[in-house]
Amino acid sequence: MTRTIDAEPTETVRGAGENQPADDAVAQFRAQISPEMDFTRASGAVRRLAKFRREGAKSPVSARVAVLGNTTTSQLAGLLDLFLFGQGVDAEIYEAPYGLLRQEILDPTSELYQFAPQFVFLATTRRDLNMPRASDTPELVDEALEASAGEWERLWQTLHDRTGCQIVQNNFDAPPWRAFGNIELSQSGAAGNFIDRVNHDLARRAPRWVSVHDLDGLAQQVGRWNWGDERFFHLAKLPCAPEHLTIYAHNVATLIGARLGRSRKCLVLDLDNTLWGGVIGDDGLAGINLGQGDAIGEAFVAFQRYAKTLAERGVILAVCSKNEDANAREPFEKHAEMVLKLEDISCFVANWEDKAANLHRIAQELNIGVDALVFVDDNPAERALVRQLLPQVATPEIPTDPADYVRAVAQHRFFEVISLSNEDFQRTEMYRANAQRRQIASDVGDLNDFLRSLDMRAWVGPVGDLELDRTVQLIGKSNQFNLTTRRHSAGDVQAMLADPAWETRVIKLADRFGDNGLISVLLARADGDTLLIDTWLMSCRVLKRGVEQMALNHLAELARARGLTSLTGEYIPTAKNVLVLNHYADLGFTQASADADGRTVWRLELNDAWTPFVHHIHEERP
Amino acid sequence: MSELLEQVTTIIRDVFGDDEVTVTETSSAEDVDGWDSLMHLNLVIALEKRFGIRFSTAEISLMKEEGQNLGTILNLIRAKKGISA
Repeated sequence: MTRTIDAEPTETVRGAGENQPADDAVAQFRAQISPEMDFTRASGAVRRLAKFRREGAKSPVSARVAVLGNTTTSQLAGLLDLFLFGQGVDAEIYEAPYGLLRQEILDPTSELYQFAPQFVFLATTRRDLNMPRASDTPELVDEALEASAGEWERLWQTLHDRTGCQIVQNNFDAPPWRAFGNIELSQSGAAGNFIDRVNHDLARRAPRWVSVHDLDGLAQQVGRWNWGDERFFHLAKLPCAPEHLTIYAHNVATLIGARLGRSRKCLVLDLDNTLWGGVIGDDGLAGINLGQGDAIGEAFVAFQRYAKTLAERGVILAVCSKNEDANAREPFEKHAEMVLKLEDISCFVANWEDKAANLHRIAQELNIGVDALVFVDDNPAERALVRQLLPQVATPEIPTDPADYVRAVAQHRFFEVISLSNEDFQRTEMYRANAQRRQIASDVGDLNDFLRSLDMRAWVGPVGDLELDRTVQLIGKSNQFNLTTRRHSAGDVQAMLADPAWETRVIKLADRFGDNGLISVLLARADGDTLLIDTWLMSCRVLKRGVEQMALNHLAELARARGLTSLTGEYIPTAKNVLVLNHYADLGFTQASADADGRTVWRLELNDAWTPFVHHIHEERP
Repeated sequence: MSELLEQVTTIIRDVFGDDEVTVTETSSAEDVDGWDSLMHLNLVIALEKRFGIRFSTAEISLMKEEGQNLGTILNLIRAKKGISA
């Protein structure tokens, strides 16, 4: 008899036409395209994209994009192509000759018009702006403002009349220096003041077929002295420091992507250590870290506020958590510091299924594509699983410090919109109403592949001096994956170690993301012809990775070494351990008895028919 | 081959996306496929980042001048990092 720890996949979650390995490689490449790449890496990715294109890689949508600028735009155009591809857009790009921005628009026979663009990106900088003189009177400055903004408005109109295209126009990046110092903003002729006014004016004048790209906002975000690298402007007319061309191109790509319907729609949030510190199932309502008075707790509140703001402007929020549903909902219902409430969450999924299956289910219930989801989870193993099985879901890297969570998500500009309507503000309500609970197959393909790829290494051995403290700590605090919840003290455990009837095993697990430390404790004693499992507990963080099966193999081995013929397990129900209600049944035990108070006893005969479970963990023994 | 030349070769391979490129101190832009002014800038950017140094405008201009070669770039890096030739 051969068993593996996972059911065979009954349904794959990949999109149509993505069944070939080459498509997988393209999907993985697409998922790796991130504004976090530095310039050299991004340039390398531009080359890889060219290679994928030669091999026939295709995206869901395509677009003809013209790039016009009076600065060098070749690097920018290549990166724009890359980030559009990252959003599922195949761009055909026309790069107008250097410095001919106005001529290309005004000349009806220019190459621009022969190209017939769907999008025109006007890659302007402050150097395209006719600035007033610092000494000009306020009236002259007003005239200069009208002349500038008016000129851009006429250029837009000309372009649109001739091509029907949509336009992305940079606003203007104010210089980092301020000739007037602190009175810059009160002097109408000062560059900082003038550019500020032009930018507001452009935003006001832009018709719905023009998106103003907030170049000045980008320069502020980077820091104005860092944004510009004057050397590269003087040498090569680069519009900004080369290292910032990546976020610049990414930002423009998200705007074009938004017009093509490629923006993400839904933010899917993990709970434990993502929305609050700690594990609700183990630490309880009073034990999780959330709220004022603690720096970490405040950081989680700040992240929740960010999510709440997104929800208010129409981003759908969902929850995807490995938890008991009731535990997961408890903070939303009862914790005073929770910013997010249940009514903010359009789809709430808390169970012990794997997250790729649950994300698939969330997309179905909300009736959106999985490529509309952004998944935020502090656990790198969960992120890796989703990236591998559902590369269409955007799964950003999440740093370990919750103070950095907002930036980690915001920098990707997943939820770019062109404009907002009243409907957007009501969207959460709408999706909540529409969400239908449909049963879907819970198994996704390739889970075994994923487990193998985790490169798990376990140390399994008796409780020694090094392990005692952590063992007792886990015995004292584990609630969910804890079959009997017996709170043995350090003295109790030491007594077991001295008693030949007892067997102890602890498991330490490392994987390619790092060391999980000591994650499981097994305490058992010989009783007649059986090995009676007194304590079996495990950290939920490593659930369903095969640790349970590996642990059982060890118990069976210990029993057989003593000449015992069976294993006996107990399940004692508590308010928090419903997770392991079927633990022994799942491992092939047969129920021997049940008490009126819910306690059940289970038996596994260790006859010749019983063979150890197959798993994907490399074992080391002391 | 000096340790510095090895490091720079790795960066050049990275920037040009070609693991086969080999260079010496006397190599110039003409000796490497695709080393145009755009790639030259990409290389400068990568060198600055990897070595944590900053070339002046004049130095970047100098590197591209007639008669200059990779040795020019290596000497600039040596001077900035205090490495003896």
